Amino acid sequence: MKPERDYGLVDILDRLLNKGVILSADLIITVAGIPLIGLSLKAALASIETMLDYGMLEAWDRETREWYKRQLLESDPPLAEGEVVLYRTFGYIWYSQGLISSWRPGFWYVTDGRIFLWRREPEEALFEAFLEKIGSIEAGSVTDIGKEREVLDLDVEGRIARIRSSDVSEFEEAIRKALARQGISQPQSWQIRF
Amino acid sequence: MSETAKEGRYIYSIVSSGLESDLGDVGIEESRVRLVSCGDIAAVVHSCPAEPYVTKDDERAKEWVLEHSYVIDLATERFGTVLPFSFDVIFIGDDESVRGWLEENYDLLKGELERVKDRAEYSVQIFCDEGKLNEKIVAADPELQRLRAGIGDMPKGTAYLYQKKLDQKIKEGLLEETARLAKELGAKIDELADEVKIEKKVSWVPDKYKDKMMVAAFSCLVRHDDVEALGDLLEEIDKEEESSIRFSGPWAPFSFVQLKGTGR
Repeated sequence: MKPERDYGLVDILDRLLNKGVILSADLIITVAGIPLIGLSLKAALASIETMLDYGMLEAWDRETREWYKRQLLESDPPLAEGEVVLYRTFGYIWYSQGLISSWRPGFWYVTDGRIFLWRREPEEALFEAFLEKIGSIEAGSVTDIGKEREVLDLDVEGRIARIRSSDVSEFEEAIRKALARQGISQPQSWQIRF
Repeated sequence: MSETAKEGRYIYSIVSSGLESDLGDVGIEESRVRLVSCGDIAAVVHSCPAEPYVTKDDERAKEWVLEHSYVIDLATERFGTVLPFSFDVIFIGDDESVRGWLEENYDLLKGELERVKDRAEYSVQIFCDEGKLNEKIVAADPELQRLRAGIGDMPKGTAYLYQKKLDQKIKEGLLEETARLAKELGAKIDELADEVKIEKKVSWVPDKYKDKMMVAAFSCLVRHDDVEALGDLLEEIDKEEESSIRFSGPWAPFSFVQLKGTGR
């Protein structure tokens, strides 16, 4: 049996848009190709999913699995003495500077003193704000790659941090509680707006 | 693209070559594609403003992607296995910035080039004929045969319930069997490939597989010398009545090149 070069256009698009080297550094503009070149092209990539039970074969994906495990288990973020973690969730922050913009993933931590996004590889806090610096919080939604997503906009000293996680209202509740615990009064603009 | 944009270099791939050669006007929108080298490695680039290629016109976007793909194939033919870049990655700066980046990341890039040298990426997918597989499952299980045979004589209501039960059992058998096939295939590929990855989603298959059920899909990095043996091995599985294999490639190693931590 010989390998065939029976690729379709979609096959090629899939590889060039979803795979290959993407660099992220100040030196380089990294552009997620899909949103830029039109949403219907993304629609052309609607996938045929395989019916494989991945659980049974995950050993094949060792690398991915190990990375995931490391993300989950290792290297907790440095905390101040006595600092208590109140809430933790996987999520993103919207990073936009010049032409570079993307959702950066990590684990969100709400502690009794601050809120921060922790990336474990390499270890770095991608965002950090002390609770008393939080001016307002606003829930809303944005359209991202054709999908409606709930986000939280956090006003930290006049700058807006846009947050995404699997459960935005739960996240908001956690911040609200953390602030209440510190006796910080809830800003007026805390009404949920959609 | 605005006229005020800074200078940029669109990058297609990294190759093993110490020469600053010119590949001709083969790039996106007929851009002149050149090599910017550092020692014995080089970046395949064209000069452009430091702004991403953006369009709302899908046809134009597809052209761009195909042109990018073409340059990767051309570079592979000329210089051996390349490190392929995603569409629309642009360096801010001139040749010197690119060279500086190559220099800074030389060890990593050289290491990756060595790792994929004399290898290519192939895609292996296994499909099943669901009807045939179901028959095989029933044929192998006397209990299912009894169940099926009995249904004909049952009153309508009871027959319905038993039919559901039978369908459920066959479905379970199907899942078990496909998982076994996938596992077996994965293990076989792993014997010959340097690296194997499971593809959870596949965007496209040729028409002849359209009415079949895709059971598993893998991307694998294979030495040129091992491709024939892998083909032989896949042929054995393909011969089995209920399963067929799609073996396609070669591709540049899109699924296997990782450049973490570069560009600082």
